[in-house]
Amino acid sequence: MSNTLIIGYGNPLRGDDGAGYIVAELLRDLVHDPEIEIISQHQLTPELMEPISRAAHVIFIDSSVSGRAGKVNRIPLRPGPSCSRFTHHVTPESLLAGAQSLYGHTPEATLYTIPGRFFETGDELTPSVRRAVNELVATLEKQFAARSAGGSAWVTPL
Amino acid sequence: MPRQRILIDPVTRIEGHSKISLHLDEEGHVEEAYFHVTQFRGFEKFCEGRPFYEMPSLMARICGICPVSHLIASAKACDAILAVRIPPNAVRLRKVLNLAQILQSHALSFFYLSVPDLLLGMDSDPAARNIFGVMEANPAMARDGIRLRQFGQQIIEWLAGKRIHPAWVVPGGVGSPLAAGNRDRILAGIPEALAIATRAMDWFKNEMERFREEIRSFANFPTMFMGLVGDDGGLEHYSGRLRFLDAGGHIVADYPDTSYPEYLGEIAHPWSYLKTSFYKPLGYPEGVYRVGPLARLNIIDGISTPRASQEWAEFRELDRGAVLSSFYYHYARLIEILFALEKIEQLLQDPEALDSNVRAHASVNNLEGIGVSEAPRGTLMHHYKVDRDGLITWANLIIATGHNNAAMNRGVLQVARHFVHGNKLTEGMLNRVEAVIRTFDPCLSCSTHADGRLALEVELRSHDGELLDICQTR
Repeated sequence: MSNTLIIGYGNPLRGDDGAGYIVAELLRDLVHDPEIEIISQHQLTPELMEPISRAAHVIFIDSSVSGRAGKVNRIPLRPGPSCSRFTHHVTPESLLAGAQSLYGHTPEATLYTIPGRFFETGDELTPSVRRAVNELVATLEKQFAARSAGGSAWVTPL
Repeated sequence: MPRQRILIDPVTRIEGHSKISLHLDEEGHVEEAYFHVTQFRGFEKFCEGRPFYEMPSLMARICGICPVSHLIASAKACDAILAVRIPPNAVRLRKVLNLAQILQSHALSFFYLSVPDLLLGMDSDPAARNIFGVMEANPAMARDGIRLRQFGQQIIEWLAGKRIHPAWVVPGGVGSPLAAGNRDRILAGIPEALAIATRAMDWFKNEMERFREEIRSFANFPTMFMGLVGDDGGLEHYSGRLRFLDAGGHIVADYPDTSYPEYLGEIAHPWSYLKTSFYKPLGYPEGVYRVGPLARLNIIDGISTPRASQEWAEFRELDRGAVLSSFYYHYARLIEILFALEKIEQLLQDPEALDSNVRAHASVNNLEGIGVSEAPRGTLMHHYKVDRDGLITWANLIIATGHNNAAMNRGVLQVARHFVHGNKLTEGMLNRVEAVIRTFDPCLSCSTHADGRLALEVELRSHDGELLDICQTR
């Protein structure tokens, strides 16, 4: 059972939309702790409820269309109802609620969002978003390393 | 009463972007109906000039739901360009991958997209008529659906390295052999998945009685059916002959799969980006046929796995000839889930399943190649021409949804005539018009995120544009 689950999502072929996906991919190369599971997907899907229910903590990482490009926002999450009839628009909150109702457990959860500027076809991040991605990767890696070394605090605001 | 046009835009719980328009006459009766595919992709054009060996990975990007199907049909077309016979274990592993794809896609279609209608009712609150509504109404069924799809995707990942857009299927075979540990993990998961599939089958058969009216009116008309059959006439998804069967259940013809240009024609309509295929000897529209799970179970002589075979025998009792109602696509999908699980088990229990010889190498030996396989939604054809350097000069793709396009349009008209009346719309009426499309499980290749603001909005307007009624669900 993984203790922490990281879910980075977005489309890396749509410019800054891929920021969350890329953070997860970069962390996969840097973090080798069996207690940390990393998933990178193009979008959230209902199948994620099951691994979410097995985690003690889950971190969602996504891009955002609003906000200042290059800033990283940290948002604590609570389970919430689905606000859409479409399986293509599953929210982190609805996955947390689903994990609770289907599998009897929902973990503590945090959402990091990285506002983007360019969402058209292309596999390049804008420079400010690239910097934000690197900053978030470095911060999370540091926190995971401290936690592996026995530290207690594992998530701090950026 | 003036003539009117009803627009359903977008069609929900399908893969891709489309709308439906219904045209009413002066009496308020449905006169015409169209299923418009509103997205344009253009893969056939922008792959021109690329090296043929890039095609499987490039074509997999057509879709996030059925990338494996495109990988396989594309790789088979490239095998033909190389003019190689690929190693037997590469064939075996490609078959397992294709069946895993069918498993996860059918689970998505049934549990996520169609069970909301079947469990909660066609007239139920549309705000809850989705997988989250299913979770509240029947958590055990939701867990089953999630687990089954997860297992299919997991098999794809264990074989091909990742769930979406793997690049493991290559011209000449597959990229690497199967590890013993992954084979054992797949085999260990089969019993649980079979138990889920059996539960879903039992539930669906019990529920069918509630849907008599839908069974009668959901694209229930005579057409031909087409699909691959094995050498023994049995259910086959990877290679074989292409069989046409008429509505009476008689075999019209068996053709080599690679000679499709001789017997299939395509036309384009000005109201849709989706091409329509037809059987050339009968012309259009007489040569309309259907593909996919319903077609596959209609055209075959038998099924080689025991549990699916038993269910197929019961399925065939629904009609004297071919089973005609498209509502039964759901039923056929469940039988194919059973088959996929049983067949994967058979294939992986073969002692040669771990053989490391999985790829043949060659240069360009043919300037043209055709690859045909059965995707979850029906027969998939990739056809390429290359120059002597192996660069693509021309490509044509015929996808399942194109084969089914004419039948879907006719089905929309039939169900609209049955359920839509006059100048007052109800959401349940319109949901049935969408639901007939969902039985075909069309894949219009959605590849980008929805923006979260999609909603069904249907306007009823007079011929001079006056708004008579509006139906919104947000």
